[in-house]
Amino acid sequence: MAPASSTNTAMFNSTGNNFGAGTIQFKDYQAENYVVLNAKITYDPSNADYQAADVLEIYVPDLSINRSAVAGVFLTFQDRYVYSSYTWNNDGGTAVKSWIKDKNTICIEKLTNFDDKAEHTIFILALYPSLNQGGGTIKGTRTAIQMTQETRYLYWSSDTFCVIFEHWVFLHMQFSSCSYSYRNQPWEANMGNFPTDVCADVPFLGGSNQYNPSVNGYSLAHVENGVFTCQERMSGFDSTGYDPFIFAFLVRDGE
Amino acid sequence: MIVLPSIAFGGFSGSAKDVTARHVGGRSILSVRSWPTGQKTNAQVARRASLARITKSYQTLTADQMIAWERLAEHTSGQSVFGQKAELTGINLFVRLNVSRVMAGESILKDAPAMIAALPLVSYSALWITPKTVIIKGIAHEVGLKLVVKMTGGQSAGVSSGWSKAVIVSPGMEDDWGDADMTYLYFKTIGVKPSVGEKIFLEMYWLDPASGVVGPSIQTSKVVESEEDAEAEGYVKREKITMADVKEDSHVSECDVDFSTNAPVVSFDTVCLGHSNVASSYAYLEDDLPADCLGTSMALGRGMGDGNAALAAQSYIIWLRNSSWDGANICFAHRGGYYVKPTEVFGPGILY
Repeated sequence: MAPASSTNTAMFNSTGNNFGAGTIQFKDYQAENYVVLNAKITYDPSNADYQAADVLEIYVPDLSINRSAVAGVFLTFQDRYVYSSYTWNNDGGTAVKSWIKDKNTICIEKLTNFDDKAEHTIFILALYPSLNQGGGTIKGTRTAIQMTQETRYLYWSSDTFCVIFEHWVFLHMQFSSCSYSYRNQPWEANMGNFPTDVCADVPFLGGSNQYNPSVNGYSLAHVENGVFTCQERMSGFDSTGYDPFIFAFLVRDGE
Repeated sequence: MIVLPSIAFGGFSGSAKDVTARHVGGRSILSVRSWPTGQKTNAQVARRASLARITKSYQTLTADQMIAWERLAEHTSGQSVFGQKAELTGINLFVRLNVSRVMAGESILKDAPAMIAALPLVSYSALWITPKTVIIKGIAHEVGLKLVVKMTGGQSAGVSSGWSKAVIVSPGMEDDWGDADMTYLYFKTIGVKPSVGEKIFLEMYWLDPASGVVGPSIQTSKVVESEEDAEAEGYVKREKITMADVKEDSHVSECDVDFSTNAPVVSFDTVCLGHSNVASSYAYLEDDLPADCLGTSMALGRGMGDGNAALAAQSYIIWLRNSSWDGANICFAHRGGYYVKPTEVFGPGILY
């Protein structure tokens, strides 16, 4: 079978998995010696398949590489508490390890600490490299992202940048602060210098998590057509020292 | 004068002084007891103790387990001698397989495996031995198998067969993306670095740690050459930093930084311990970083602590530099998420 998309961007569906997640759709870029995969996977950790698995495995059509070094993906969960009219948002998440075991199997480390939550969502926004490839690391160029708004209320760290390649882009964003009156509003900002052919949900990890203190908070953000949006944040989002950030290798759709 | 048994005629068995006669499978076998020469090494003592422990543990098996080993042995031939295959008993096979398993760090296998599958020969492309480097390159990866490597110390270049002097340098390692870097293991086992002009004999084979079965061995030899000559002949050093390259006063307990991706990322697998009251960790390096490894990277981290935010995801900016002030170093500086000590920084990091 030919690779799902040899040295090109496309989409493909999983052929199965061992943790009861249903069909998973991937956006991918596959080079000879590395692949970039984007997917969002939801499952119920109480299901029998998940409970029986030691490592989460996703079965896929032939990839361009037959194994990879470890990459990082994100495990998130929802956790809300309602107090009279106020909902306390304790959504949380962390990084878990992932690797390609063979041409047809993507593995994800099983972290059982949050199995009491009703639903997990895993974000694969990862580059899976091969090692000992007969050449060194190829350097990219750092591009600062100019975050702009008509009325400025969001402030970002200087480490908000991207590194742009023809078929994919690396994105790192780090939140600094928000004007007080906008802290509970939906957020939107233009991402100057960032490619407009990227469309992805991205986990925004950070913030103090009172009910799940072993991890940061988790809030969902979205990047599309060069615009960053984030509808709501978890309750401890702007706690000092818990700097929310986004870390993602994102496949470009092509213009 | 020894009268019985007469080992000149078939049908006898027993020992006379250092000669032992056995009658196995319709053939007579004579063996002369061999005595170890030279001083016992710690490794030899440990191996003999392990052999005794494995042999003794056969007696702890249940009757059903012993029967299973006997049945498997009936279908398994031993090493062929004079064109006639030797027969194995259950205990012979139990000891053979478990010696290999224990050597590879596995526990003693009490239940006989269902079958013994043939293992492949080790396939590799090059062996490089210099006073600084002992490495086997281009090994065809075999899933689930471990590589056993035996090597000799430096012999005279005129010696044509020195494999009997080889000792186990690696009792079972997985190839590292086609490489088996024996440098540290060789120096540790043999005790001295190879010198240019010496000849090193090497034997290697695959071991299946699940069953203890070993594959056919491959023997080769190599005359030690200088690093410059090896490079002139095509040896390309893999750009990778490990703990062997890191100075003791560093703030990392594990450090594996691999530049050999031929892609726009470095692969990290590092445990950052932190230092002072600064949210960063330094890996101070013995040697300068090559020019094409210098720059800035960014990678993911996850806490390994046991307190607040123990599993917190974090982002780290990583500076790779040759500093005139504090020498070559890799600095892992915390950026996003809650800072935790220790933290593992892992996965691909973009390089710019």
